[in-house]
Amino acid sequence: MSAVTTHHDAHGHEVPYEVQLRSNRLGLWLFCFSEVFLFLALLVARFYLWGNTRPELSQVLGLLTTSILLVSSFFMNRAETAIAHGDRKTFLNGLLITALLGTLFFVGVVVMEWNVFGLELELFGVEWFGHLRPTDGVFGGVFFAMTGMHALHVLSGIVFILIVWANGRKGHFSPERHWGVEACAIYWHYVDVVWVFFYPALYLIGHVA
Amino acid sequence: MKKKHLLFATGLTIITSILLYFLLTAIYRLPTSASAEAGPIDQLFHIHFGFIAFFFSLIMVFVVYAALVFRRRPDDETDGPHIHGHTGLEITWTVIPVIIVLGLGVYGTNVLVDITAPQPNEMVVKVHARQWSWSFEYPDYENISSAELILPANQPIRLEMDSEDVIHSFWVPEFRVKQDVVPGRTTILRFTPTQAGDYKVRCAEICGKQHANMLAPVKVLSDQEFTAWVDERLAQPLFAELTPEERGEIWYSAEGFGCAACHSVDGTQIVGPTWLGLFGREEQMDDGSTIVVDETYLRESILNPNAKIVSGFNANIMPPNYEQRFAEKQAEILAAEGVEIDIVEDLIAYIKTLNE
Amino acid sequence: MKALWYFLTSSFTRGLIGQAIFTAIGMTFVNAIRSVMGLEANAEPGVVFGALLGVFGFLLGAGVLTDWIKWIFGKETPLRHGPPQGKPEWTRYLNVDYNHKVIGIQYGYTSLLVLLVGGLFALIFRIELAQPGMTLLTNDQYNTLFSAHGIVMITAMLLGVGAMVNYLVPLMIGAADMAFPRLNAFSYWVGIPAVVLILAGMVVGGWDTGWVGYAPLTFRAPLGVQLFLLGFYVNGFSSIAGSINLIVTVATMRAKGMTLFRMPIFVWAAIAAAIIQMTATQTVGVALLMNVTERAIGLSFFNPANGGDPLLYQHLFWFYSHPVVYLFILPGLGVISELLPVFSRKPLFGYKWIALSSLGIALVGFLVWAHHMFVAGLDNSLRIPFMISTLFVAVPTGVKFFSWVGTIWEGKISLETPMLFVLGAISVFLIGGVTGPILGTIPTDMHLHDTYWVVGHFHATMFGGFIFPFFAAIYYWYPKITGRMYKESLGKLHFWLMVPGFWVMSLGQMATGIMGMRRRIADYDPALGVQNIHVLITLAAFVIGWSVLIMVYNLVSSARSQELADPNPWRSRSPEWQIPSPVPEFNYDVPFEVVGDPYDYGLSGVAYIRMAPASGD
Ligand code: HEA
Ligand code: HEA
Ligand code: HEC
Ligand code: CUA
Ligand SMILES: [Cu+2]
Repeated sequence: MSAVTTHHDAHGHEVPYEVQLRSNRLGLWLFCFSEVFLFLALLVARFYLWGNTRPELSQVLGLLTTSILLVSSFFMNRAETAIAHGDRKTFLNGLLITALLGTLFFVGVVVMEWNVFGLELELFGVEWFGHLRPTDGVFGGVFFAMTGMHALHVLSGIVFILIVWANGRKGHFSPERHWGVEACAIYWHYVDVVWVFFYPALYLIGHVA
Repeated sequence: MKKKHLLFATGLTIITSILLYFLLTAIYRLPTSASAEAGPIDQLFHIHFGFIAFFFSLIMVFVVYAALVFRRRPDDETDGPHIHGHTGLEITWTVIPVIIVLGLGVYGTNVLVDITAPQPNEMVVKVHARQWSWSFEYPDYENISSAELILPANQPIRLEMDSEDVIHSFWVPEFRVKQDVVPGRTTILRFTPTQAGDYKVRCAEICGKQHANMLAPVKVLSDQEFTAWVDERLAQPLFAELTPEERGEIWYSAEGFGCAACHSVDGTQIVGPTWLGLFGREEQMDDGSTIVVDETYLRESILNPNAKIVSGFNANIMPPNYEQRFAEKQAEILAAEGVEIDIVEDLIAYIKTLNE
Repeated sequence: MKALWYFLTSSFTRGLIGQAIFTAIGMTFVNAIRSVMGLEANAEPGVVFGALLGVFGFLLGAGVLTDWIKWIFGKETPLRHGPPQGKPEWTRYLNVDYNHKVIGIQYGYTSLLVLLVGGLFALIFRIELAQPGMTLLTNDQYNTLFSAHGIVMITAMLLGVGAMVNYLVPLMIGAADMAFPRLNAFSYWVGIPAVVLILAGMVVGGWDTGWVGYAPLTFRAPLGVQLFLLGFYVNGFSSIAGSINLIVTVATMRAKGMTLFRMPIFVWAAIAAAIIQMTATQTVGVALLMNVTERAIGLSFFNPANGGDPLLYQHLFWFYSHPVVYLFILPGLGVISELLPVFSRKPLFGYKWIALSSLGIALVGFLVWAHHMFVAGLDNSLRIPFMISTLFVAVPTGVKFFSWVGTIWEGKISLETPMLFVLGAISVFLIGGVTGPILGTIPTDMHLHDTYWVVGHFHATMFGGFIFPFFAAIYYWYPKITGRMYKESLGKLHFWLMVPGFWVMSLGQMATGIMGMRRRIADYDPALGVQNIHVLITLAAFVIGWSVLIMVYNLVSSARSQELADPNPWRSRSPEWQIPSPVPEFNYDVPFEVVGDPYDYGLSGVAYIRMAPASGD
């Protein structure tokens, strides 16, 4: 039952780097496009269930985390440009800063907004830890689903950045060949852009119920 | 030569379409039509049968004709004529179906608007669905409640339906119309029964273990019979005048809270433990402990069913919201009759009668 | 003995072991945390987490992730492996392999196996339905069986689509492999733990929600429902990864000169299907996850008791699950379009129209989902537009049918088994299709919704749009895959048993439905007068079952005993038939160039492809 005969030499059947790069790029963009539907579905759920209302959340915290995430995109961009120009130091530093800011965002959402440890802190008239629980009706459900799904993407983005950073330190990327960096950057920007839609949907649109 | 085949196949198409239409109406038999809505709906059915017969014949006659007539001779290695397509034809068989589906859409819209339009003299019946029973309430007649749907013929009906747990669906095949009953909202269904007779509500949405058996009788009566039924029901004693045991039996039935869907009183196991001989029975629990059934335990099992699970049965089956529903009913009776009753007490009293 | 050893060390076994271990770890982990936090006893979060971790364990154990893990540590990994060294050839099909043909065959045999299992479920519950009253099963068993039948069959179709697309598309466009071979392997292997989860769900209590898993019924169903929902969810990874891979492959790896309208028509169908898979799958994923989390840890989305709305689930679910039915059939219809010209010796009539109608079906298919919710409580103002859009799907589908008639009309038709199945597919899909608009018009759907009419409708569309074409494809490409010819007489026997079996089953289902037989009921009212028809349906089901077993026997036995097949037994113009069978490891030794149209039968002296001369420079 041999469905595939003679073992030819693989040589000559390798896909040229340019073609593979084109495929990779297209593949990643299609993946992003596919994920649009994931995030859209969550937004649909939000508007379906919350309508013109929203839960009470700490505006300061929301604005802060959002700004941090947006700033991180800038450093990611810098890292990518740097490797394209062969500037290894800026490249590595950029990655680290991005990962750091991403982690801050993650902490802002998961530790502070979700308040997984049940903390309390009031400073400058702002409550720094959220009080919405996942089981608080549809507000809790949708809020945790949206932020959770996004946080999962942020987390995987951070891991991705760290892997690229580690490999970058070993000298794996060159100005000519750095698809891994490019992919990481696209993914990170994409996750940022998603938040740009989530943030107003969660924190701004509608009146507090 | 070419023309001949086309003509032949076209002729055959017409013949088979007609034959098929009659065949279809013979094997696809709609139940008797017992509502005003069934008329236009059945007409739409027959239009559809017509299209089914026609389009099926059209394609299949040509396909079978081609397969039989244009067979390749065994030694013939040549190819068929080199025809790539024909834009005119393609446009034709795009445009004609567009017209047909638009026509069907408009016709369907008309029928739908027609059968869902509010009527001025509607009689409202409230329908409550739950796992796995139906009950009906007549707000126009002092909220009579009944486990059977009793309707006067030729009277436009508006059902206002709600569900206590999962999605169910109200369907009486003879009335043709169907509407899901969705928890958390009230859905409306309108129809006018026309034929006196006995029918059944058949729950048409999977709703768990006993979905197949979630039926309720429907009786369509003449006006006089209906009034007689209403009078009979109104003449029934007030709740206050019944003994707790008698009330308990009502709460147990589909007319009350539908315990009967899951608990038998004759020893058979349906979904939950039978109530026959329940009081004083030693019951084995899920966690291995045993309990002798007394009033306290019964009260807890009814109001907080997940607190203790009888071994061999599943948690999360019995509705956990009876406390609230009993309270509503008790308030209603208090308002109407001025007496306070305790439904749980009634049920316990009834359960105690089941020990002989 | 040796064979057993190879089996026990295969990716398959290792994966299953990995899945078991990781599931146990996941469950223990969550339960430990819960007990440390002092939460009340509730096994479900542990089960859910364990199940997900188990999928990861499967992939790890099977070795699908090995290359990627090496990448993380910056190691390069070879892509082309070739056949296993020092092991028999067949072990290749039980192990992770990156060759698209191997993966295609893996998809194929898994699909057939899963189909047999799902069919077996149907046979069991058909016996129950042969007479009123509960005879063989309990209500719970019945509900579990039909629900599992539904989802298992749908998985079988997803796998079958994967089989055809993976094996054929790279060959047809002249590529050596898919664009991302590792991802391709991932797509296949992640489907296995999904099936395992679904089957495991049947053991831990089963579930009674049907394949749609409507909330809030899911919250009251036995524990099995969680595993079903998760299995369904995990299947989605396979769909999404596979479809992206396919689109990229077609976009970047076509042979020289293969413009879009010169691709074999099957490739168009595959692309249209992939577009559906790539996008809609995400929304059902969200719906399923919400369902899982609401049940397991109490987030609220769908339960009105906590402010949710059950209809939201239905919207999200059908936004995927309607388009997905077109995903099942599009490759099947592609096979029909692909085979008709070959067996009629005539060009495909209206190539462009057929190609674009696939896209049309896929795109219009996104706008019709609420026709499954016509009686769910939507306003007229919402359901009427959905009625119109639903009816419009008839138009592109009709274009295909009429063009098929145009293709075979005046052709030189020969009726070998694949062609028989193609003609069978046309008739069966037609009856399934034309029984759709009656469901799409709301007043008639008010009677037919959730009756056996719907059951008849969709068995006809799925048999006609997937099962028959899939079998046609298996017979047609069998000599390509194995290098040997199947037994024609057994193939014909299969066909002539399955066709009457199918018609009795499907027409019978529709007839009982219109008479008042509801779906998803373990027992029916004898007063409906449907019992005789049910007996016929059950008998027909067994005829279909036997016929499928005959095919399985044919496929297995012919692979050894039959004589070697001609390299191009069907005299096809398609590129994959211009090379030896079985296909060499990397498909085309020399790249080919497209110099003509794919279906120019009847025009002598024009070729579709020209093998490029070995490059001399
Ligand atoms: C492979 C799968 C497949 C396919 C191709 C289709 C095709 C179609 N389906 Fe079907 N359908 C299912 C699988 C499929 N369906 C399944 C699985 C369910 C049940 C899900 C569940 O609840 O479990 C279902 C349920 C379903 C419903 C919901 C029923 C209910 O629950 O109340 C509806 C309602 O509109 C519907 C309509 C249609 C229509 C209009 C088409 C159209 O695409 C058909 C178009 C084709 C033709 C019409 C034939 C060819 C055309 C011509 C010859 C041209 C001229 C014709 C005319 C002008 C009429 N389908
Ligand atoms: C590809 C899809 C597909 C296929 C091929 C089938 C095939 C069959 N289906 Fe199924 N069916 C569905 C998809 C499919 N079905 C779906 C999606 C549902 C909806 C579920 C829901 O409501 O949620 C459904 C529901 C459904 C119902 C309705 C149940 C209900 O509502 O209560 C019925 C009833 O008659 C039925 C019957 C059959 C029969 C008799 C076959 C026959 O064709 C089967 C023929 C048998 C075989 C092919 C098996 C042969 C194997 C052996 C003889 C044993 C060998 C075994 C091993 C080696 C393990 N199916
Ligand atoms: C949908 C099904 C269902 C309905 C309706 C239902 N029950 Fe139950 N009931 C169960 C199940 C299942 C059990 C066993 C599991 C458990 O102990 O919770 C049970 C257990 C009980 C028990 C404990 C019995 C024992 O043997 O210890 C009592 C008492 C009871 N139910 C009373 C009622 C009353 C009163 C009603 C109606 C007002 C009712 N039930 C309605 C399913 C149901
Ligand atoms: Cu209630 Cu089905
Ligand atoms: Cu649909």
